Amino acid sequence: MKISRDEILKLASMSRVALHDDEIEPLAKQLEQVLTYAERITEITADVEEPSTKNVNVFREDVVARQTAEAILAQAPEQESSFFVVPAIIEKS
Amino acid sequence: MDKLAFASVATLRSLISSNELTIEEVIDFFIRRLEAYDPQLHTTLEVFDRESILKQAGSGGLLTGIPGLIKDNICMKGRRLSCASKILENFNSPYDATVVRRLKAANAPLLGRANMDEFAMGSSTETSAYAKTKNPWDASRVPGGSSGGSAAAVAAGLVPWALGSDTGGSVRQPAALCGVVGMKPTYGLVSRYGLVAYGSSLDQIGVFSRTVHDNAHVMSVIAGDDLKDSSSLRVEKKDYTAKLSGELPTELRIGVIGNAVDAEGMDGEIVTAIQTAVGEFEKLGAKVKTVNIPSLDYAAAAYFIISRAEAASNLARFDGVRYGTRDKKAHTLTEMYTNTRHDGFGSQVKERIMVGNYVLSAGHTKEFYDQAYIARRVIRRDLIEMFRDVHILIMPTHPVPAFKIGSYAVNSLQLDLQDYFTCPMNLAGLPAISLPCGFTKGKLPIGFQLIGPHLSEGMLYQVAHAYEQHTPWKDMHPEGF
Repeated sequence: MKISRDEILKLASMSRVALHDDEIEPLAKQLEQVLTYAERITEITADVEEPSTKNVNVFREDVVARQTAEAILAQAPEQESSFFVVPAIIEKS
Repeated sequence: MDKLAFASVATLRSLISSNELTIEEVIDFFIRRLEAYDPQLHTTLEVFDRESILKQAGSGGLLTGIPGLIKDNICMKGRRLSCASKILENFNSPYDATVVRRLKAANAPLLGRANMDEFAMGSSTETSAYAKTKNPWDASRVPGGSSGGSAAAVAAGLVPWALGSDTGGSVRQPAALCGVVGMKPTYGLVSRYGLVAYGSSLDQIGVFSRTVHDNAHVMSVIAGDDLKDSSSLRVEKKDYTAKLSGELPTELRIGVIGNAVDAEGMDGEIVTAIQTAVGEFEKLGAKVKTVNIPSLDYAAAAYFIISRAEAASNLARFDGVRYGTRDKKAHTLTEMYTNTRHDGFGSQVKERIMVGNYVLSAGHTKEFYDQAYIARRVIRRDLIEMFRDVHILIMPTHPVPAFKIGSYAVNSLQLDLQDYFTCPMNLAGLPAISLPCGFTKGKLPIGFQLIGPHLSEGMLYQVAHAYEQHTPWKDMHPEGF
């Protein structure tokens, strides 16, 4: 299994992780190693019929648990009045 | 007073109830232990200040005056929580995890936050962004991971018990490498509410202790249904110490998993120690046979895929907006996300997120993720089928004894394969306990696992306790502490 530089860059973008140039090659090698190992999985799944799942929904009463907004907002790297602050999403024209 | 360091929970409780020791004296004793030995072992990321611990101390509970440590991925209201990651450097838990709420209700003094692999991803506690925990049996070696701080602290007598979390073996493997008892209960027995998610379909909170009885005692406090965790099972609260008679259940049938004991790469001394332990069970009256479960040899591959996929999704929330650190120099939102995650996550975490997004991405889902789910069902079916024939399965916890710090720096796949024997039970949701069963010639602890059917913790504890009572391991402690 071979992972190209472009694939790594695409994965990094999907994962929202910046990568420095010197990090790409070692990361590609590590991914190759793990995925090559993981490929063996098909050796036991080939003739298996997929059984139906028996998952059930679990509900509880929708009770309001009071949290003070201040305590939550105080965790944010940047906040203003009752808002989280992020860099501009829309550029000024 | 130093004999207190390795005293059992039961002993400490009776010293407190007979007024030979006050709660305050016990707490002070263990705070001093941590102050004295943690600078060399690095088992904790923080020991709380004495006043705040004492403020929470009450009386009348199952753990009154019996201090413990909490792995740093479990929320304690008003305390910091970092998951040993830089990205959560300044995070304060706004609420208590359900297990913490139950521990507090049992009056357990919580002394601090235990070190761990970053976001519980690792088998050596080397990926912590803050400190490398040392193995108390040999400080040049790792304590295992990811709950290495919890395991090392209990082994060195710095606390009588600690909580960890086990996604692919993160309680059992460090327990084995540090020579203590580690229980990963049935998926759903202990609430995950307030545990920072890694692989949600695999994660379970587990207990470290030096004896089986202590472990069952703490489990009795934390186990039980919780409406705040929809995967928690509707089971009654139970006293897991009730069946600890020192005897095996009558007519006990044990299956030793042959293809695990004979697996490639198994250390010879570990194999011998497990065979000796199996002989001990026979002496105690169990009927033992060898069984083979070939699908177990594919568990690590299935586990790699599922855990990384779930991690990629769970760790998407760390975006520098609502909590944690942020790259303050970024000009655009995307740049802020990507730089924050680049600088905040360590390399192991980034690798796992990217593997997860790879196996989940269009074109690869069928080949990897879907196959892993089928394999998971095969492994689960094969394990459960075994319990028609035997009551308990035995297999190794770890292939090699505690290894030197840095040994797998160039071969991370070999480090990941530390999960080989432990992750099948996470895939199948089965309970498993790792117990000490001897030492290598170099005086490094060896552990093995007992595995039972779903919700068989009571029987597992009984069987483990009987073995422990007839062997000398629980009284062996590392020197110098």
